[in-house]
Amino acid sequence: MQTVTFRIWRFKAAQIDPPQFQDFKLSVEANMSVLEGLEKIRQEQDQTLMYRHSCHHASCGTCACKINGRERLACITPIKDLPARPITLTPLDGFASLGDLVVDMHRFYKNLSADWSYLRESDHPGPSRAPREVKPFMRFENCVECGACVSACPVTPESEKFMGPAALAALHDELEKSPAKAADLLSLAGGSRGVRWCKSALRCSQVCPTAVYPARHIAELRRRGERSTK
Amino acid sequence: MEHIIIIGGGGTGAALAHDLALRGFKVSLFEKGELLSGTTGRHHGLLHSGARYAVHDPTAAQECIAENSILRRIAPQALEQNDGLFVALEETDMAYRRVFVESCRACGISVRQLSAAEALGLEPALNPNLKLALQLPDATMDAWRLPLQFFATAKANGAELHSFAEVRGIHVRSGRVTGVRIFDYKKHREYDVRGDLLVNATGAWAGKICALAGIQVPVQPGPGVMVTVNARLTNMVINRLHPAGEGDIIVPQRKLSALGTSLWLANDPDGIALPRDHIRRIIGLCAQMVPAVKDTPLHSAWCAARPLLGGRKADDPQKISRTFDCYDHKERDNLEGLVSVMGGKATTLRAMAAKTADLICRKTGRDLPCRTAAQKLLHWRLFYQ
Ligand SMILES: Cc1cc2nc3c(=O)[nH]c(=O)nc-3n(C[C@H](O)[C@H](O)[C@H](O)COP(=O)(O)OP(=O)(O)OC[C@H]3O[C@@H](n4cnc5c(N)ncnc54)[C@H](O)[C@@H]3O)c2cc1C
Ligand code: SF4
Ligand code: FES
Repeated sequence: MQTVTFRIWRFKAAQIDPPQFQDFKLSVEANMSVLEGLEKIRQEQDQTLMYRHSCHHASCGTCACKINGRERLACITPIKDLPARPITLTPLDGFASLGDLVVDMHRFYKNLSADWSYLRESDHPGPSRAPREVKPFMRFENCVECGACVSACPVTPESEKFMGPAALAALHDELEKSPAKAADLLSLAGGSRGVRWCKSALRCSQVCPTAVYPARHIAELRRRGERSTK
Repeated sequence: MEHIIIIGGGGTGAALAHDLALRGFKVSLFEKGELLSGTTGRHHGLLHSGARYAVHDPTAAQECIAENSILRRIAPQALEQNDGLFVALEETDMAYRRVFVESCRACGISVRQLSAAEALGLEPALNPNLKLALQLPDATMDAWRLPLQFFATAKANGAELHSFAEVRGIHVRSGRVTGVRIFDYKKHREYDVRGDLLVNATGAWAGKICALAGIQVPVQPGPGVMVTVNARLTNMVINRLHPAGEGDIIVPQRKLSALGTSLWLANDPDGIALPRDHIRRIIGLCAQMVPAVKDTPLHSAWCAARPLLGGRKADDPQKISRTFDCYDHKERDNLEGLVSVMGGKATTLRAMAAKTADLICRKTGRDLPCRTAAQKLLHWRLFYQ
């Protein structure tokens, strides 16, 4: 057991407004995650603390926030791996706060089409696919739709017009899976909300917790776009 | 139409909001945290074929296989449909095979026997000493996205969904529930909501809600630990061919493998600390089926509480049925206007909702059929659009 301080950004419309930081001291066990720390604070110290969480294993994407200034999933960030103290928690940038660390995700989903498939052929290695010529094994896409890349991107907070890294990565995945849709998808990527905004800062790829590497998808879309206009 | 208030934004509340909205009721749902932040979002991610329950709990098994095939149709984007294997490693597993296969078939669950070589051909990471495997229609579900599709559809059909809104009190006048007291965490204020009927869909918290109305329900929180390791080791769900026990299932998902689980009984669903010794134990047991589990880095570990029906401390918790029920508290406790739905699995959320909505129709004197089995759900992304 050790004692740590969580410095949490608090905001409640018309209540804690303007926002302010509040410190919570708590004792934590060796392998506790930041999310477990938040749960402990809510249980033992302040029931009104608001944050999003659901799966506790980097699958739902809801618990993304800024931990010591960097976008991370609270559920897979062990407290012991964070060198800086106190542990400072702020909501994702570029999204409105609905209370404390909870952000409104509407903006994120505005650019993510429900027509793009969330499934891909499994890349799990081994001869496992050989006997199943009929139906390949499938798995979910890497992106857990957490919004970390949108927060870290230097362009998205500036302009609501940019689709953002996650949407472009998903668009590119869809392009690979459904070549028949290429014309529409490429014109969206090359359009007024698409790749033209990207400054290649690569922040999206650095913060993505599930290794989607959105910047690579954007670069690939640019190449495809150039090829198709030549 | 009557105004139905649902307490609890887990999978059961999600499916009920959808069912009632589709039948035309006015629906308001209140969840104290983020939607799906109770047990549902945190479960193991298995779309049960029902095989796990076929021998000792055929009712639950039949419910699972029926819902399994419905969810494949109405929410395919939230499922990895790769089937599951039950693997036999020891003579005792082989001895269990016969009753297992017969029970599965009796419940309508298809079983295909694979030789060890065939099983290893499909899943090379399996223990090479396995004796045989049985292939069944298990699947992986996204524990957040599948129920979110129910919420998205409910919302589009007019249901009002309130997250970070906790029910703190239940108003009763002359033996009848008239509404609830809500604490809104976003605005930091309390307010009252009136309704014609109140549904308690709070899973492991159901006892706490009923206590607000001065009554009791037979639900017992049954927590369990789950562990993910940082690689997808198989494509199919891997189960141990033996009677339901601990550490006997690996559910692959995206790039992870989720191992589970353990089970004990708790009195309070809140503040359950993760017993870290379970992690090693689960990894050890699952490594018997897929040895690479042991050499794969730990990714995360967490626990959640099952809403077990009618469990008492003394029972063998593995034997408590995973079926579900809904209660009219008028009949049980002479309290009009309150219904509780509990038990079940994430796999059976739609069926739980259908049974509860049927009860609500009977209570309100309406003859409206359930239509959720045939209605494809909206994509979860539309929840935010
Ligand atoms: C370890 C484990 C593994 C499991 N694995 C699987 C699996 O692989 N497949 C499967 O099908 N099932 C699985 N289950 C079972 C499944 O998760 C549950 O049966 C199901 O999720 C219960 O859903 P629910 O909506 O009834 O409860 P919950 O999801 O718990 O929803 C109840 C909600 O009510 C809310 N609430 C409580 N009090 C209040 C209040 N006062 N005001 C407002 N809201 C309130 C809670 O916050 C909670 O979100 C597993 C369960 C456990 C514990
Ligand atoms: S691309 Fe990565 S960072 Fe961006 S939303 Fe998806 S998972 Fe999150
Ligand atoms: S709680 Fe689901 S990603 Fe962290």
